[in-house]
Amino acid sequence: MGKHVVVIGGGVAGLEVAGQLSKIGFEVSLIEKDSRTGGHLNKWYRLFPDRRRSSEVKEYLNGITANNGINLMTDTSIEKFNRHKDHFIIITSGGRELIADAVIVATGFDLFKSARKEEYGYGIYDNVITSADLEEMFRRGEISLTNNTIPEKIGIIHCVGSRDEKVGNFYCSKLCCVTAVKQAIEIREFLPESKVFCFYMDMRMGGALYEELYREAQEKWGVSFIRGKVSEASETIDNKLLIKVEDTLAGRPLKMKLDLLVLMAGMEMSEGGKKIAGIGGLRTGENRFFAATDNHYGSNKSNIAGVFYAGTCTAPMNITETISHARAAVVEVIDYLKDNN
Amino acid sequence: MILEGKKAVWNDYQKEIADDKYYYVRSCVRQNFFPGSETAFLKIMREELNKDVYEHPCHTSCTGIVYHSDLVPVETTMTVVARQFALMTEAGYENLMPSCITSFGLYTEILDTWHHFPEVEEKVRLQLKKATGREFKKPKNLAHASDVIFKFRKEIGAKAKYKLINKETGEPLKVVDHIGCHYAKMFPSKGVGGAEYPYVLTGMIEEWGGQIIDYPERRHCCGFGFRQYLVQANRGFSVACSKEKFESMKPFKPDMIITNCPGCPMFLDRWQYVINEMEGKRYGQNGEGIPVFTYEEVAGMVLGYDPWELGLQMHQTDCEPVLNKIGIDYSPEDKYNLDISPSYSKKHNLINV
Amino acid sequence: MGKLYDLLLEDVRFEEGLNACMNCGVCTAICPAAEFYIYDPRKIVDDVQTKDDEKITELLKSETIWYCGECMSCKTRCPRGNAPGLIIMALRSLSQDLGFFTESEKGRQQLALKRTVGHWMITYGYCLYLEGVGTSMHPEQGPVWDWIQDNWKEVFKKMGANYQGDGPGILRRIPEEAMDEIREIFKVTGGMRRFENIEEFSKKKAKELNMQLDDGIENEYFQHIYKTNNGSHTR
Repeated sequence: MGKHVVVIGGGVAGLEVAGQLSKIGFEVSLIEKDSRTGGHLNKWYRLFPDRRRSSEVKEYLNGITANNGINLMTDTSIEKFNRHKDHFIIITSGGRELIADAVIVATGFDLFKSARKEEYGYGIYDNVITSADLEEMFRRGEISLTNNTIPEKIGIIHCVGSRDEKVGNFYCSKLCCVTAVKQAIEIREFLPESKVFCFYMDMRMGGALYEELYREAQEKWGVSFIRGKVSEASETIDNKLLIKVEDTLAGRPLKMKLDLLVLMAGMEMSEGGKKIAGIGGLRTGENRFFAATDNHYGSNKSNIAGVFYAGTCTAPMNITETISHARAAVVEVIDYLKDNN
Repeated sequence: MILEGKKAVWNDYQKEIADDKYYYVRSCVRQNFFPGSETAFLKIMREELNKDVYEHPCHTSCTGIVYHSDLVPVETTMTVVARQFALMTEAGYENLMPSCITSFGLYTEILDTWHHFPEVEEKVRLQLKKATGREFKKPKNLAHASDVIFKFRKEIGAKAKYKLINKETGEPLKVVDHIGCHYAKMFPSKGVGGAEYPYVLTGMIEEWGGQIIDYPERRHCCGFGFRQYLVQANRGFSVACSKEKFESMKPFKPDMIITNCPGCPMFLDRWQYVINEMEGKRYGQNGEGIPVFTYEEVAGMVLGYDPWELGLQMHQTDCEPVLNKIGIDYSPEDKYNLDISPSYSKKHNLINV
Repeated sequence: MGKLYDLLLEDVRFEEGLNACMNCGVCTAICPAAEFYIYDPRKIVDDVQTKDDEKITELLKSETIWYCGECMSCKTRCPRGNAPGLIIMALRSLSQDLGFFTESEKGRQQLALKRTVGHWMITYGYCLYLEGVGTSMHPEQGPVWDWIQDNWKEVFKKMGANYQGDGPGILRRIPEEAMDEIREIFKVTGGMRRFENIEEFSKKKAKELNMQLDDGIENEYFQHIYKTNNGSHTR
């Protein structure tokens, strides 16, 4: 075939796309802004729903991208991106010019910057952390407070930066609920003496084996689920966090003192993705993610022929969905390049 | 507590505050309970900062308390507010500076409603014309009087005779800031520092030598709640709110409270008295109460104004503990002396400059 | 179904205050009134969004719409951009327009408010006019208030006020021409009609309760609504 495809983004979607395309004989360049590939997988310790180590998925992705002659460019971003007749001219931050027959955008997501929910005090109150910070603690093998003591009462707030007009995100990030359930279980595993409370609006357990995990969290691990959005957190003199929430099922406002508060940060269009959208003239939706041409049968297609999307740059997705979406993008590329021969 | 985090939030909420030629509208509550504060404010503005502040003799209440007691339709309040704008327009001013937080909130809300519903603004213009024959321009700048003091906090600090420092220990006074609910809760971007970590009073306190303390119920309402205080049968709500705040701030041992809303200092002051009468419970060090101040009073204190000219004797909770800690030169025996020195009456010339 | 909802929609605050509620409870969690009263602003919004006339009628006659202190803390936080406080203001307005407010103990208090702050506003141009309002109505004002009341003019003079004077200044007398304008605004915009409504329905209620109600505040009905708390409002 000999056709050249440039893949932008070396996370789960980008690696899967690059691996599959190179396997079937395309020439592939993979551009990653960080010094290593793997994206958010590098930060996560274990994955829902089965709590396997994230490193196992990384091993798989490394496996399919190794030894297929992929031209990997790390620490590289895109400066210019133009269509010229039936091919694309891409200028990298290193000044390299790449000529591509097709482009796959796999720029992924950024975690919502939790400091923007000012009332939760992330970055202000000592023991308010995000789901990503908690994974970091899991990887280090210790969950501790800033004064190095062990937390006993831990609260998990769902929907931080999701379903929230106040931060401009109307959509559901869809994976924070199951992340909360997974992390609640893991906290209980790490700290058998602890009490964990999840504050949710709706438990969106739509993925395979999610509901089972939720049930396990209740039955086996004694995690408490309280239906209500936390209104605010504040810091007490003994460095605990006082939260205000309504237990909406009981119809009663309640205040609770916690040692540690974990914010389930939602998913947003990545900064890298926004930049590509700007320089490449790619259409984005009201939720700021890339807008595919059709929600049902064109979710990989962009408004520019020859440019395709893979993964969470179009919407929140779990890893299973991301990999499926990436493979679907491969099919679109094959189809496109066949027609353009 | 990580101060850098708060500073980042403060940076996100920069507010435009006019630097001269203000049209001042008074506060019903402040005039009745803290008249010395409005007098001190005008003195600071005109004499210390040399600013042009105009007050129209024919302006009235914005109806705020009546409006929030649900006694009038929103159109009535909007039209009274439109009349205030008309008087300002006729006087040739564009920078509206209310003394009251309820007014400030109302003006902000009304301008926002008109922005989203231009047909409402049109209707109000017609109604004002019909009722009074007046026409108006909307203010170019709307800043609460505490925003303006915030803007000039450094200039005031430079002229200060005292600092908010405990003379004995050399430590900064620990100050609780209480922001009126209607300052920024409705429109966070209209408040200095936003709604969650307002900076308007914190900035003054830091500049004048004190230390702000954060405490869990910092954002809680003082308990005015309009009808919840104005009707005797409801006052349990009001005192319960203030008590919740006192209990929450107690472990932090505050030396004083500073407020920017005219009502809050009255409630935080009087309910301490009531809680003591009802339960024998006294707050503050040695049970002497936690003095509560308006920001004008605090500015006046650091500038060295006489406490009894500022009206601190109109507080039910004694202010002397703070005066003594700072080492302010005052005469305790003159607290209830109502004689006015000749220099004093001259100072408080009521004519617009 | 929906007639009362349509009436609510005529209030611009209702339109501003209600998008769609997902019952997250963030408003109730932060509500000072929900902490004190048996009260759930979330529930009010949820009831209103059913558009059900029966439910809305029940609200308009209820105690529950009168617990809010209008601090607007709810508006800061609502993830759907609703403002329960504004919705409640629209409900209170409609309750008064339809005369339903006299059906609840807390609603009946509107007359007390009208005859104090409402009266002061259209008579003097101030929402508060406190000369002579003593610690009998306001015992919480404490001994300092007795001293202030006893020395009203001197205290206000010392504070640099222009009490009852001409020209600008603290508690100045607002000229009669200005007050005529305010009263005319009240007439043109429905403020006066609201006042008359409150009077009319309260008189009806007083009669029903067999209580005396004359002008002013020194009468059985006023004192009753101003002071009665049947104790069923709080947790």
